[in-house]
Amino acid sequence: MDALLDITDLSVSYGPFHALGPVSLTVGAGEIVSIIGANGAGKSSLMKAIVGQAGRSEGKIVFEGEDITARTTAQIARAGIALVPEGRRLFPSLTVEENLRIGWEVGRQGAFGFDEIYALFPALAERRTLHVRHLSGGQQQMVALGRGLLANPKLLLCDEISLGLAPVVIADLYRIIPEIRDRGIGIVIVEQDITRSLAVADRFYCLLEGRVNLSGRPTNTNRDEVARHYFGM
Amino acid sequence: MGELANQIVQGVLVGGLYAMYAMGLSLSVGVMRFVNIAHGDLIVLFSFLILALIHATGIGALPATLMTLPIAFVGGYFLQRFLLQRVLGQGVLPIILVTFGLSIIIQNGLLGTFGADTRRVSGGGFETATLRIGGGINIGVLPLTIFIVAILMVLALDWLLYRTRLGARIRAVSDDPATANLVGLPSARVYATAMGIVGVTIAISAGFMSIWTNFDPTAGPSRLLIAFEAVVLGGLGSLWGTLVGGIILGVAQALGAQIDVSWQLLAGHIVFLVIFLARPEGLFPKY
Ligand SMILES: Nc1ncnc2c1ncn2[C@@H]1O[C@H](COP(=O)(O)OP(=O)(O)OP(=O)(O)O)[C@@H](O)[C@H]1O
Ligand SMILES: [Mg+2]
Repeated sequence: MDALLDITDLSVSYGPFHALGPVSLTVGAGEIVSIIGANGAGKSSLMKAIVGQAGRSEGKIVFEGEDITARTTAQIARAGIALVPEGRRLFPSLTVEENLRIGWEVGRQGAFGFDEIYALFPALAERRTLHVRHLSGGQQQMVALGRGLLANPKLLLCDEISLGLAPVVIADLYRIIPEIRDRGIGIVIVEQDITRSLAVADRFYCLLEGRVNLSGRPTNTNRDEVARHYFGM
Repeated sequence: MGELANQIVQGVLVGGLYAMYAMGLSLSVGVMRFVNIAHGDLIVLFSFLILALIHATGIGALPATLMTLPIAFVGGYFLQRFLLQRVLGQGVLPIILVTFGLSIIIQNGLLGTFGADTRRVSGGGFETATLRIGGGINIGVLPLTIFIVAILMVLALDWLLYRTRLGARIRAVSDDPATANLVGLPSARVYATAMGIVGVTIAISAGFMSIWTNFDPTAGPSRLLIAFEAVVLGGLGSLWGTLVGGIILGVAQALGAQIDVSWQLLAGHIVFLVIFLARPEGLFPKY
């Protein structure tokens, strides 16, 4: 079976600084892939490179059999890749509903409409006319995730969606991830929190200083081994 | 007493024209975060275009102005898409240099094409009609029309920005162009559309300006200055603030002219400076 996303020898550098790579990895449709790694390992650089927003990148990115390496960010989004970016990056002067609508308008038709999103996140339904700056961190993250889902992507990239959130809120967000996967969407989860992301992942890659130093299935891998590779020991 | 009230009323009405000059600038500063140095020259350019249309076809000032609206939209769109967009996001200096260059090109182009003479467009008697409302106050039909149109323009732009999907897109790109691209919004095209709308406000103000005041190819910078003062006074990003800013300048000039004619323009600038020093963020800041 061909992979949904197939990355070959991708590297990213910022000026003289080499931040990532070369790395190669694949994500299948209906598969949850976890990317773990410590601070500065290059996880966000990998996510940004996939959507064409990393400083300078080399390598090859194939999505659904088509080379998207040279496409613009907006084209990649419309091809069916949604990134829920680190730090949420909502539009502060827009309301909850307007933020969601932007994702929906430019996205594709599919399973996720407003009703589904408001059913997944009832807290947003009550606050749809509020400006996003009046929301709690968890609710803002729901908007960011909802905005990504409303585009009805085939591949969803989540960059540290649990950062700074209370454990109950994180559990709430992670409850949804397998439901999304079950609709045939490929998912990449970037986290520093190993336990949380390995618990939902089908496969994982561990990054250290820009390189993959361990990959496999969480079920077949010893936790101590993961921890050693994570810290580079 | 009646004379003073009359001067204030006249100042308020002149403020409507100033607000009209400023509205497009307010939009480009508030949304795209840059000052177009050629803003005044574009208004003058469209005044000449309207003049040329009238001479060529014999139609009246109103239909001539209406005919320039689509030209202005398309012109604004392409100006942003193929020139201004290239230098946006590269710091403050490149966009200032490019629009400054544009200003010089427009002025010299107009000088070469139309000569240095002062022009005015005939409004067909419209511009001399007045309403007497007692108490020594006379209101010109043209200034009153301009004032009302200025208010309608604020209402329309406010509705467009805050009540429509296009407005939400424009605000999203204005908030964060990189994230707009990330969710599939082509920010360059959205900005171009916004500049098209700015172009329409420029053409409308050009139509009214060409009937009410004299203009010549070098009249742009003084319009830019007035527009800039109105935008800053009102507070960046606030269209209603821009209207109030224009009115304050108009009233200040009218009262200054009471002291001495030479004080008219100076009074406007002094009031601007005083308010700016007291409230650098403007009267109704959005940001
Ligand atoms: N725009 C940039 N310019 C220069 N260096 C950058 C830039 N973005 C990231 N870096 C550097 O590249 C390296 C990888 O950064 P990246 O953000 O990809 O790491 P990360 O794994 O996402 O880290 P974190 O867990 O803190 O989010 C870091 O050393 C970082 O300082
Ligand atoms: Mg990161």
